[in-house]
Amino acid sequence: MNDLLQVSNVVAGYGDGPAILNGASVKVESGKVHCIIGPNGAGKSTLLKAIVGMIRVREGDVTFKGESVKGLRPDQILRKGISFVPQERALFPKMTVRENLRMGGYSMRDKSELERRIDEIEERFLILKERRDQQAGTLSGGQQQTLSMARTMILKPEVVMLDEPSLGLAPKIVAEIFDIMRVMTEEGITILLVEQNALMGLKHADWGVVLDLGRTLFEGPGKEILNDPRIQELYLGGKKAA
Amino acid sequence: MIMADMVQILVLGLALGGVYALMGSGLSLVFGVMRIVNLAHPSLVMVGAYIAYWAFRLGGVDPMITLPVALVILAATGVLLYKLVFEREARSAKYSEMTVLLTFALAMVVEGALGTAFTNTQRVTSPDYATDAFFIGSVFIPKGQLYSGIVSLTIISALALFLKYSAFGNAIRATTQNRDAAELLGVNVNLVGLVSFAIGIGLAGAAGALVSFVFSFFPAKHWEWIAILMSLVVLGGMGSILGTVLAAFILSVIAAYVGFFFGATWSTLTFFVALFVVLLVRPQGLFGEKPELA
Repeated sequence: MNDLLQVSNVVAGYGDGPAILNGASVKVESGKVHCIIGPNGAGKSTLLKAIVGMIRVREGDVTFKGESVKGLRPDQILRKGISFVPQERALFPKMTVRENLRMGGYSMRDKSELERRIDEIEERFLILKERRDQQAGTLSGGQQQTLSMARTMILKPEVVMLDEPSLGLAPKIVAEIFDIMRVMTEEGITILLVEQNALMGLKHADWGVVLDLGRTLFEGPGKEILNDPRIQELYLGGKKAA
Repeated sequence: MIMADMVQILVLGLALGGVYALMGSGLSLVFGVMRIVNLAHPSLVMVGAYIAYWAFRLGGVDPMITLPVALVILAATGVLLYKLVFEREARSAKYSEMTVLLTFALAMVVEGALGTAFTNTQRVTSPDYATDAFFIGSVFIPKGQLYSGIVSLTIISALALFLKYSAFGNAIRATTQNRDAAELLGVNVNLVGLVSFAIGIGLAGAAGALVSFVFSFFPAKHWEWIAILMSLVVLGGMGSILGTVLAAFILSVIAAYVGFFFGATWSTLTFFVALFVVLLVRPQGLFGEKPELA
Protein backbone atom coordinates (compact mmCIF):
# COMPACT_ATOMS: atom_id res chain seq x y z
CA MET A 1 0.00 0.00 0.00
CA ASN A 2 1.41 3.36 -0.90
CA ASP A 3 -1.31 5.41 0.75
CA LEU A 4 0.24 8.43 2.44
CA LEU A 5 -2.70 9.16 4.68
CA GLN A 6 -5.45 6.79 5.48
CA VAL A 7 -8.66 7.42 7.38
CA SER A 8 -10.49 4.21 8.27
CA ASN A 9 -14.04 4.02 9.58
CA VAL A 10 -13.69 7.10 11.73
CA VAL A 11 -16.42 8.01 14.20
CA ALA A 12 -16.09 11.50 15.70
CA GLY A 13 -18.10 14.49 16.95
CA TYR A 14 -17.78 17.69 18.95
CA GLY A 15 -17.32 17.35 22.71
CA ASP A 16 -19.84 14.86 24.09
CA GLY A 17 -22.29 15.67 21.32
CA PRO A 18 -23.66 13.27 18.72
CA ALA A 19 -21.29 11.70 16.21
CA ILE A 20 -20.94 13.77 13.05
CA LEU A 21 -18.71 11.22 11.35
CA ASN A 22 -20.14 7.71 11.28
CA GLY A 23 -17.53 5.52 9.71
CA ALA A 24 -15.87 7.84 7.20
CA SER A 25 -12.95 6.47 5.21
CA VAL A 26 -10.57 8.26 2.88
CA LYS A 27 -7.34 7.15 1.25
CA VAL A 28 -4.87 9.83 0.28
CA GLU A 29 -2.26 8.96 -2.32
CA SER A 30 1.04 10.76 -2.46
CA GLY A 31 1.33 13.69 -4.88
CA LYS A 32 -2.31 13.91 -5.88
CA VAL A 33 -5.16 16.32 -5.34
CA HIS A 34 -8.08 14.80 -3.47
CA CYS A 35 -11.40 16.50 -3.15
CA ILE A 36 -14.05 15.65 -0.57
CA ILE A 37 -17.52 16.75 -1.59
CA GLY A 38 -20.95 16.27 -0.12
CA PRO A 39 -24.04 18.21 0.90
CA ASN A 40 -24.21 20.57 3.89
CA GLY A 41 -23.74 18.78 7.18
CA ALA A 42 -22.12 15.74 5.56
CA GLY A 43 -19.15 16.05 7.91
CA LYS A 44 -16.55 17.31 5.42
CA SER A 45 -14.96 19.92 7.69
CA THR A 46 -15.33 17.64 10.69
CA LEU A 47 -13.30 15.00 8.89
CA LEU A 48 -10.37 17.40 8.41
CA LYS A 49 -10.59 18.52 12.03
CA ALA A 50 -10.56 14.90 13.17
CA ILE A 51 -7.44 14.17 11.11
CA VAL A 52 -5.60 17.18 12.51
CA GLY A 53 -6.57 16.39 16.11
CA MET A 54 -8.84 19.35 16.76
CA ILE A 55 -11.59 16.92 17.68
CA ARG A 56 -11.21 13.46 19.17
CA VAL A 57 -11.51 10.35 17.04
CA ARG A 58 -13.83 8.04 18.98
CA GLU A 59 -13.56 4.97 16.78
CA GLY A 60 -11.59 3.95 13.73
CA ASP A 61 -8.05 5.02 12.92
CA VAL A 62 -6.00 7.65 11.12
CA THR A 63 -2.62 6.54 9.81
CA PHE A 64 0.09 8.63 8.21
CA LYS A 65 2.89 6.76 6.42
CA GLY A 66 1.66 3.56 8.00
CA GLU A 67 1.82 4.91 11.54
CA SER A 68 -1.25 5.77 13.62
CA VAL A 69 -1.57 9.49 14.33
CA LYS A 70 -4.86 9.17 16.15
CA GLY A 71 -5.00 11.17 19.39
CA LEU A 72 -2.11 13.50 18.54
CA ARG A 73 -2.47 17.24 19.19
CA PRO A 74 -2.67 19.68 16.25
CA ASP A 75 0.93 20.85 16.78
CA GLN A 76 2.17 17.24 16.76
CA ILE A 77 0.29 16.52 13.54
CA LEU A 78 1.88 19.65 12.06
CA ARG A 79 5.36 18.38 12.95
CA LYS A 80 4.57 15.07 11.24
CA GLY A 81 4.08 17.02 8.00
CA ILE A 82 0.34 17.65 7.72
CA SER A 83 -0.75 21.30 7.49
CA PHE A 84 -4.32 22.48 7.79
CA VAL A 85 -5.92 25.68 6.50
CA PRO A 86 -9.31 26.00 8.19
CA GLN A 87 -12.31 27.65 6.58
CA GLU A 88 -11.84 30.96 8.40
CA ARG A 89 -8.26 31.11 7.03
CA ALA A 90 -6.60 31.35 10.44
CA LEU A 91 -4.68 34.57 9.94
CA PHE A 92 -3.59 37.04 12.61
CA PRO A 93 -5.38 40.19 11.39
CA LYS A 94 -3.30 42.73 13.31
CA MET A 95 0.06 41.22 12.47
CA THR A 96 1.82 42.08 9.24
CA VAL A 97 1.95 39.74 6.26
CA ARG A 98 5.58 38.96 7.01
CA GLU A 99 4.81 38.27 10.70
CA ASN A 100 2.03 35.94 9.64
CA LEU A 101 4.47 34.04 7.44
CA ARG A 102 6.91 33.91 10.33
CA MET A 103 4.23 32.38 12.56
CA GLY A 104 3.88 29.69 9.88
CA GLY A 105 7.38 28.57 10.79
CA TYR A 106 6.95 28.96 14.53
CA SER A 107 7.84 25.33 15.10
CA MET A 108 11.13 25.64 13.16
CA ARG A 109 14.24 25.70 15.32
CA ASP A 110 16.56 27.29 12.78
CA LYS A 111 15.38 30.89 12.52
CA SER A 112 17.76 31.89 9.71
CA GLU A 113 16.45 28.96 7.69
CA LEU A 114 12.96 30.28 8.44
CA GLU A 115 13.82 33.74 7.07
CA ARG A 116 15.25 32.08 3.96
CA ARG A 117 12.04 30.11 3.44
CA ILE A 118 9.96 33.26 3.85
CA ASP A 119 12.09 35.01 1.20
CA GLU A 120 11.52 32.09 -1.17
CA ILE A 121 7.78 32.18 -0.58
CA GLU A 122 7.72 35.94 -1.15
CA GLU A 123 9.51 35.47 -4.48
CA ARG A 124 6.87 32.98 -5.54
CA PHE A 125 3.91 35.03 -4.37
CA LEU A 126 4.94 38.57 -5.23
CA ILE A 127 1.77 40.10 -3.83
CA LEU A 128 2.92 38.95 -0.38
CA LYS A 129 6.28 40.64 -0.89
CA GLU A 130 4.56 43.82 -2.01
CA ARG A 131 2.29 43.80 1.04
CA ARG A 132 4.77 42.43 3.55
CA ASP A 133 4.40 45.25 6.10
CA GLN A 134 0.66 45.56 5.74
CA GLN A 135 -1.66 44.14 8.41
CA ALA A 136 -3.15 40.84 7.24
CA GLY A 137 -6.65 41.96 8.21
CA THR A 138 -6.52 44.71 5.59
CA LEU A 139 -5.86 42.32 2.68
CA SER A 140 -8.62 41.36 0.26
CA GLY A 141 -10.28 37.97 0.65
CA GLY A 142 -8.24 36.44 -2.17
CA GLN A 143 -4.98 37.82 -0.82
CA GLN A 144 -5.81 36.49 2.62
CA GLN A 145 -6.42 33.04 1.16
CA THR A 146 -3.15 33.28 -0.77
CA LEU A 147 -1.35 34.21 2.44
CA SER A 148 -2.79 31.35 4.45
CA MET A 149 -1.97 28.83 1.71
CA ALA A 150 1.51 30.21 1.14
CA ARG A 151 2.09 30.15 4.88
CA THR A 152 1.62 26.38 5.02
CA MET A 153 4.41 25.97 2.46
CA ILE A 154 7.01 27.42 4.85
CA LEU A 155 7.26 24.11 6.67
CA LYS A 156 7.45 22.09 3.41
CA PRO A 157 4.61 19.83 4.52
CA GLU A 158 3.83 16.55 2.78
CA VAL A 159 0.08 17.01 3.00
CA VAL A 160 -1.90 20.25 2.97
CA MET A 161 -5.56 20.08 3.91
CA LEU A 162 -7.74 22.96 2.74
CA ASP A 163 -11.24 23.59 4.04
CA GLU A 164 -13.29 25.40 1.38
CA PRO A 165 -10.57 27.74 0.15
CA SER A 166 -12.94 29.23 -2.43
CA LEU A 167 -15.57 30.25 0.12
CA GLY A 168 -16.79 33.80 -0.42
CA LEU A 169 -14.40 34.57 -3.26
CA ALA A 170 -15.21 35.86 -6.75
CA PRO A 171 -14.87 33.28 -9.58
CA LYS A 172 -11.74 34.94 -10.97
CA ILE A 173 -10.07 34.81 -7.56
CA VAL A 174 -11.16 31.19 -7.12
CA ALA A 175 -9.24 30.35 -10.28
CA GLU A 176 -6.14 31.91 -8.71
CA ILE A 177 -6.61 29.80 -5.60
CA PHE A 178 -6.65 26.65 -7.74
CA ASP A 179 -3.50 27.92 -9.45
CA ILE A 180 -1.81 28.05 -6.06
CA MET A 181 -2.90 24.50 -5.46
CA ARG A 182 -1.20 23.52 -8.70
CA VAL A 183 1.99 25.24 -7.54
CA MET A 184 1.75 23.20 -4.35
CA THR A 185 1.46 19.92 -6.20
CA GLU A 186 4.43 20.88 -8.35
CA GLU A 187 6.37 21.17 -5.10
CA GLY A 188 5.34 17.60 -4.36
CA ILE A 189 2.70 18.51 -1.82
CA THR A 190 -0.29 16.19 -1.57
CA ILE A 191 -3.60 17.98 -1.26
CA LEU A 192 -6.76 17.05 0.55
CA LEU A 193 -9.45 19.55 -0.27
CA VAL A 194 -12.97 20.05 1.00
CA GLU A 195 -15.25 21.88 -1.41
CA GLN A 196 -18.85 23.00 -1.26
CA ASN A 197 -18.54 23.87 -4.93
CA ALA A 198 -18.37 20.25 -6.08
CA LEU A 199 -18.05 21.03 -9.79
CA MET A 200 -15.09 23.33 -9.27
CA GLY A 201 -13.41 21.00 -6.80
CA LEU A 202 -13.76 17.82 -8.82
CA LYS A 203 -12.60 19.49 -12.02
CA HIS A 204 -9.23 20.13 -10.39
CA ALA A 205 -8.98 16.91 -8.43
CA ASP A 206 -7.37 13.60 -9.34
CA TRP A 207 -9.56 11.78 -6.89
CA GLY A 208 -13.00 12.55 -5.54
CA VAL A 209 -14.62 11.34 -2.35
CA VAL A 210 -18.34 11.74 -1.75
CA LEU A 211 -19.40 12.07 1.85
CA ASP A 212 -22.95 12.09 3.19
CA LEU A 213 -24.30 11.80 6.73
CA GLY A 214 -20.79 11.21 8.05
CA ARG A 215 -20.12 8.22 5.81
CA THR A 216 -18.14 7.74 2.64
CA LEU A 217 -20.71 7.05 -0.08
CA PHE A 218 -18.34 6.36 -2.93
CA GLU A 219 -15.09 7.56 -4.42
CA GLY A 220 -13.23 7.52 -7.69
CA PRO A 221 -11.27 9.60 -10.19
CA GLY A 222 -12.44 13.24 -10.14
CA LYS A 223 -13.75 13.29 -13.72
CA GLU A 224 -15.75 10.09 -13.24
CA ILE A 225 -17.39 11.30 -10.05
CA LEU A 226 -18.28 14.50 -11.86
CA ASN A 227 -20.38 12.53 -14.33
CA ASP A 228 -21.80 10.04 -11.87
CA PRO A 229 -25.62 10.21 -11.84
CA ARG A 230 -25.61 9.70 -8.07
CA ILE A 231 -24.03 13.13 -7.71
CA GLN A 232 -26.95 14.71 -9.48
CA GLU A 233 -29.28 12.95 -7.08
CA LEU A 234 -27.33 13.99 -4.02
CA TYR A 235 -27.07 17.62 -4.98
CA LEU A 236 -30.17 18.29 -6.98
CA GLY A 237 -32.63 16.29 -4.96
CA GLY A 238 -33.58 13.23 -6.95
CA LYS A 239 -34.08 12.00 -10.48
CA LYS A 240 -36.45 14.75 -11.52
CA ALA A 241 -33.69 17.31 -11.54
CA ALA A 242 -31.43 15.20 -13.77
CA MET B 1 -1.21 83.32 33.95
CA ILE B 2 -4.07 81.15 32.63
CA MET B 3 -1.74 79.75 29.99
CA ALA B 4 0.73 78.70 32.67
CA ASP B 5 -2.08 76.98 34.57
CA MET B 6 -3.11 75.09 31.45
CA VAL B 7 0.43 73.84 30.89
CA GLN B 8 0.77 72.98 34.54
CA ILE B 9 -2.37 70.85 34.45
CA LEU B 10 -1.28 69.15 31.27
CA VAL B 11 2.03 68.22 32.89
CA LEU B 12 0.34 66.84 36.01
CA GLY B 13 -2.13 64.88 33.91
CA LEU B 14 0.60 63.34 31.77
CA ALA B 15 2.67 62.48 34.83
CA LEU B 16 -0.21 60.51 36.34
CA GLY B 17 -1.01 58.90 32.99
CA GLY B 18 2.19 56.87 33.08
CA VAL B 19 1.29 54.97 36.24
CA TYR B 20 -2.25 54.32 35.04
CA ALA B 21 -0.81 53.11 31.74
CA LEU B 22 1.39 50.59 33.51
CA MET B 23 -1.47 49.33 35.68
CA GLY B 24 -3.75 49.14 32.67
CA SER B 25 -1.32 47.38 30.33
CA GLY B 26 -1.00 44.37 32.65
CA LEU B 27 -4.77 44.13 32.84
CA SER B 28 -5.05 44.49 29.08
CA LEU B 29 -2.44 41.80 28.34
CA VAL B 30 -4.19 39.28 30.58
CA PHE B 31 -7.57 40.04 29.04
CA GLY B 32 -6.22 39.93 25.49
CA VAL B 33 -4.54 36.55 25.75
CA MET B 34 -6.65 34.73 28.30
CA ARG B 35 -10.03 36.51 28.14
CA ILE B 36 -9.71 36.82 31.91
CA VAL B 37 -11.44 39.95 33.22
CA ASN B 38 -9.11 40.39 36.15
CA LEU B 39 -10.99 42.45 38.72
CA ALA B 40 -8.26 41.52 41.19
CA HIS B 41 -5.57 43.31 39.18
CA PRO B 42 -5.50 46.51 41.28
CA SER B 43 -5.65 44.51 44.53
CA LEU B 44 -2.42 42.88 43.35
CA VAL B 45 -1.06 46.35 42.55
CA MET B 46 -1.82 47.02 46.21
CA VAL B 47 0.28 44.01 47.26
CA GLY B 48 3.19 45.49 45.27
CA ALA B 49 2.62 48.83 47.02
CA TYR B 50 2.79 47.19 50.45
CA ILE B 51 5.99 45.34 49.53
CA ALA B 52 7.57 48.67 48.54
CA TYR B 53 6.16 50.42 51.60
CA TRP B 54 7.55 47.95 54.12
CA ALA B 55 10.87 47.65 52.36
CA PHE B 56 11.21 51.42 52.66
CA ARG B 57 9.83 51.71 56.19
CA LEU B 58 11.81 48.84 57.69
CA GLY B 59 14.94 48.80 55.57
CA GLY B 60 15.01 52.25 54.01
CA VAL B 61 15.04 50.62 50.57
CA ASP B 62 14.13 52.97 47.72
CA PRO B 63 10.89 51.86 45.98
CA MET B 64 12.75 51.98 42.65
CA ILE B 65 15.06 49.24 43.99
CA THR B 66 12.12 47.25 45.34
CA LEU B 67 10.32 47.49 41.99
CA PRO B 68 12.03 44.53 40.26
CA VAL B 69 11.63 42.48 43.44
CA ALA B 70 7.91 43.24 43.58
CA LEU B 71 7.68 42.39 39.88
CA VAL B 72 9.25 38.96 40.41
CA ILE B 73 7.26 38.17 43.56
CA LEU B 74 3.98 39.08 41.89
CA ALA B 75 4.88 37.24 38.67
CA ALA B 76 5.52 34.11 40.76
CA THR B 77 2.19 34.69 42.48
CA GLY B 78 0.67 34.93 39.01
CA VAL B 79 2.05 31.50 38.09
CA LEU B 80 0.56 30.01 41.26
CA LEU B 81 -2.81 31.68 40.75
CA TYR B 82 -2.94 30.55 37.14
CA LYS B 83 -2.13 26.95 38.00
CA LEU B 84 -4.46 26.79 41.01
CA VAL B 85 -7.42 28.79 39.83
CA PHE B 86 -7.54 29.80 36.18
CA GLU B 87 -6.14 26.85 34.26
CA ARG B 88 -8.72 24.42 35.64
CA GLU B 89 -11.60 26.48 34.35
CA ALA B 90 -10.06 27.29 30.98
CA ARG B 91 -12.19 24.75 29.12
CA SER B 92 -15.45 26.23 30.33
CA ALA B 93 -17.55 27.85 27.64
CA LYS B 94 -18.39 30.70 30.02
CA TYR B 95 -14.74 31.31 30.90
CA SER B 96 -14.75 35.12 30.75
CA GLU B 97 -17.95 35.34 32.78
CA MET B 98 -16.58 32.91 35.36
CA THR B 99 -13.36 34.85 35.70
CA VAL B 100 -15.33 37.95 36.67
CA LEU B 101 -16.66 36.08 39.69
CA LEU B 102 -13.38 34.35 40.44
CA THR B 103 -11.32 37.52 40.33
CA PHE B 104 -13.95 39.46 42.29
CA ALA B 105 -13.60 36.87 45.04
CA LEU B 106 -9.83 37.00 44.73
CA ALA B 107 -9.88 40.79 45.11
CA MET B 108 -11.90 40.49 48.33
CA VAL B 109 -9.54 37.85 49.71
CA VAL B 110 -6.47 39.98 48.93
CA GLU B 111 -8.12 43.08 50.41
CA GLY B 112 -9.09 41.18 53.55
CA ALA B 113 -5.63 39.70 53.97
CA LEU B 114 -3.95 43.10 53.53
CA GLY B 115 -6.39 44.73 55.94
CA THR B 116 -5.81 42.03 58.56
CA ALA B 117 -2.06 42.19 58.22
CA PHE B 118 -1.51 45.92 57.86
CA THR B 119 -4.78 47.56 59.10
CA ASN B 120 -6.72 50.10 57.08
CA THR B 121 -4.40 52.98 57.86
CA GLN B 122 -3.50 55.23 54.91
CA ARG B 123 0.10 54.65 53.89
CA VAL B 124 2.49 56.33 51.55
CA THR B 125 6.14 55.64 50.83
CA SER B 126 8.12 58.83 51.17
CA PRO B 127 11.51 58.77 49.52
CA ASP B 128 13.03 62.28 49.18
CA TYR B 129 11.97 62.73 45.57
CA ALA B 130 8.31 61.99 46.38
CA THR B 131 7.88 65.45 47.89
CA ASP B 132 10.27 67.35 45.63
CA ALA B 133 9.67 69.03 42.28
CA PHE B 134 11.43 70.49 39.25
CA PHE B 135 10.54 74.00 38.18
CA ILE B 136 10.49 75.13 34.57
CA GLY B 137 9.53 78.80 34.77
CA SER B 138 6.40 78.79 36.89
CA VAL B 139 5.46 75.22 35.92
CA PHE B 140 6.38 72.60 38.49
CA ILE B 141 6.82 68.92 37.83
CA PRO B 142 6.60 66.70 40.92
CA LYS B 143 9.68 64.48 40.84
CA GLY B 144 7.85 61.45 42.17
CA GLN B 145 5.25 61.54 39.40
CA LEU B 146 7.85 62.33 36.76
CA TYR B 147 10.07 59.41 37.77
CA SER B 148 7.16 57.00 38.06
CA GLY B 149 5.95 58.11 34.62
CA ILE B 150 9.38 57.58 33.06
CA VAL B 151 9.84 54.17 34.69
CA SER B 152 6.32 53.12 33.62
CA LEU B 153 6.94 54.09 30.02
CA THR B 154 10.31 52.31 30.05
CA ILE B 155 8.70 49.08 31.28
CA ILE B 156 5.83 49.37 28.79
CA SER B 157 8.30 49.98 25.94
CA ALA B 158 10.28 46.91 26.96
CA LEU B 159 7.03 44.91 26.92
CA ALA B 160 6.10 46.31 23.50
CA LEU B 161 9.52 45.44 22.04
CA PHE B 162 9.29 41.94 23.48
CA LEU B 163 5.83 41.43 21.95
CA LYS B 164 6.85 42.84 18.57
CA TYR B 165 10.29 41.32 18.03
CA SER B 166 10.74 38.12 20.02
CA ALA B 167 9.41 34.80 18.77
CA PHE B 168 7.58 34.17 22.03
CA GLY B 169 6.19 37.71 22.00
CA ASN B 170 4.86 37.07 18.51
CA ALA B 171 3.26 33.87 19.77
CA ILE B 172 1.56 35.90 22.52
CA ARG B 173 0.19 38.39 19.98
CA ALA B 174 -0.88 35.59 17.65
CA THR B 175 -2.71 33.81 20.48
CA THR B 176 -4.49 37.07 21.36
CA GLN B 177 -5.65 37.53 17.78
CA ASN B 178 -6.57 33.98 16.86
CA ARG B 179 -6.10 31.28 19.47
CA ASP B 180 -7.11 28.32 17.27
CA ALA B 181 -4.84 29.41 14.44
CA ALA B 182 -1.89 29.84 16.80
CA GLU B 183 -2.45 26.33 18.10
CA LEU B 184 -2.63 24.92 14.57
CA LEU B 185 0.75 26.49 13.82
CA GLY B 186 2.35 24.77 16.78
CA VAL B 187 2.10 27.41 19.50
CA ASN B 188 1.68 25.94 22.96
CA VAL B 189 -1.23 28.19 23.87
CA ASN B 190 -1.34 26.93 27.45
CA LEU B 191 2.23 28.05 28.05
CA VAL B 192 1.51 31.36 26.31
CA GLY B 193 -1.44 31.83 28.69
CA LEU B 194 0.67 31.05 31.75
CA VAL B 195 3.54 33.35 30.75
CA SER B 196 1.24 36.22 29.77
CA PHE B 197 -0.63 35.92 33.03
CA ALA B 198 2.63 35.96 34.99
CA ILE B 199 3.86 39.02 33.06
CA GLY B 200 0.53 40.80 33.59
CA ILE B 201 0.53 40.18 37.34
CA GLY B 202 4.25 41.01 37.51
CA LEU B 203 3.46 44.38 35.93
CA ALA B 204 0.85 44.90 38.66
CA GLY B 205 3.62 44.40 41.21
CA ALA B 206 5.90 46.85 39.42
CA ALA B 207 3.10 49.40 39.22
CA GLY B 208 2.49 48.88 42.93
CA ALA B 209 6.03 49.96 43.81
CA LEU B 210 5.48 53.20 41.85
CA VAL B 211 1.97 53.76 43.19
CA SER B 212 3.31 53.49 46.75
CA PHE B 213 4.89 56.95 46.55
CA VAL B 214 2.51 58.58 44.04
CA PHE B 215 -0.74 57.99 45.93
CA SER B 216 -1.55 57.33 49.54
CA PHE B 217 -3.18 53.93 49.78
CA PHE B 218 -5.07 51.52 52.04
CA PRO B 219 -6.35 48.01 51.26
CA ALA B 220 -9.82 48.95 49.99
CA LYS B 221 -8.54 51.60 47.61
CA HIS B 222 -8.23 49.07 44.77
CA TRP B 223 -11.99 49.35 44.11
CA GLU B 224 -11.44 52.93 43.03
CA TRP B 225 -8.65 51.85 40.69
CA ILE B 226 -10.46 48.94 39.05
CA ALA B 227 -13.16 51.32 37.86
CA ILE B 228 -10.55 53.65 36.39
CA LEU B 229 -8.57 50.80 34.81
CA MET B 230 -11.67 49.27 33.25
CA SER B 231 -12.46 52.57 31.57
CA LEU B 232 -8.89 52.68 30.19
CA VAL B 233 -9.09 49.15 28.83
CA VAL B 234 -12.49 49.77 27.25
CA LEU B 235 -11.47 53.08 25.68
CA GLY B 236 -8.23 51.52 24.41
CA GLY B 237 -10.09 48.59 22.86
CA MET B 238 -10.26 45.42 24.95
CA GLY B 239 -6.88 43.70 24.87
CA SER B 240 -4.98 46.39 22.95
CA ILE B 241 -1.98 47.48 25.03
CA LEU B 242 -1.17 50.48 22.85
CA GLY B 243 -4.81 51.56 23.12
CA THR B 244 -4.76 51.21 26.89
CA VAL B 245 -1.61 53.34 27.17
CA LEU B 246 -3.04 56.08 24.95
CA ALA B 247 -6.32 55.98 26.85
CA ALA B 248 -4.43 56.34 30.13
CA PHE B 249 -2.76 59.54 28.98
CA ILE B 250 -5.84 61.01 27.32
CA LEU B 251 -8.14 60.38 30.26
CA SER B 252 -5.61 61.42 32.91
CA VAL B 253 -5.13 64.75 31.19
CA ILE B 254 -8.88 65.28 30.79
CA ALA B 255 -9.40 64.31 34.43
CA ALA B 256 -6.76 66.85 35.46
CA TYR B 257 -8.57 69.62 33.57
CA VAL B 258 -11.92 68.57 34.96
CA GLY B 259 -10.40 68.72 38.44
CA PHE B 260 -9.10 72.23 37.79
CA PHE B 261 -12.33 73.68 36.40
CA PHE B 262 -14.96 71.82 38.44
CA GLY B 263 -13.09 70.72 41.55
CA ALA B 264 -11.14 67.57 42.43
CA THR B 265 -14.30 65.68 43.42
CA TRP B 266 -15.38 65.61 39.81
CA SER B 267 -12.12 64.53 38.25
CA THR B 268 -12.63 60.77 38.84
CA LEU B 269 -16.01 61.07 37.18
CA THR B 270 -14.16 61.69 33.90
CA PHE B 271 -13.27 57.99 33.67
CA PHE B 272 -16.84 56.82 34.16
CA VAL B 273 -18.32 59.31 31.74
CA ALA B 274 -15.68 58.18 29.24
CA LEU B 275 -16.69 54.56 29.86
CA PHE B 276 -20.35 55.30 29.11
CA VAL B 277 -19.61 57.42 26.07
CA VAL B 278 -17.21 54.86 24.57
CA LEU B 279 -19.68 52.01 25.05
CA LEU B 280 -22.42 54.05 23.40
CA VAL B 281 -20.48 55.58 20.54
CA ARG B 282 -17.56 53.31 19.76
CA PRO B 283 -17.84 50.06 21.74
CA GLN B 284 -14.71 48.61 20.14
CA GLY B 285 -12.63 51.45 21.64
CA LEU B 286 -9.67 53.08 19.93
CA PHE B 287 -7.93 49.96 18.65
CA GLY B 288 -10.32 47.09 19.34
CA GLU B 289 -12.08 44.75 16.97
CA LYS B 290 -15.62 45.65 16.00
CA PRO B 291 -17.89 43.60 18.25
CA GLU B 292 -19.61 40.74 16.47
CA LEU B 293 -23.31 41.20 16.04
CA ALA B 294 -24.28 37.66 16.88
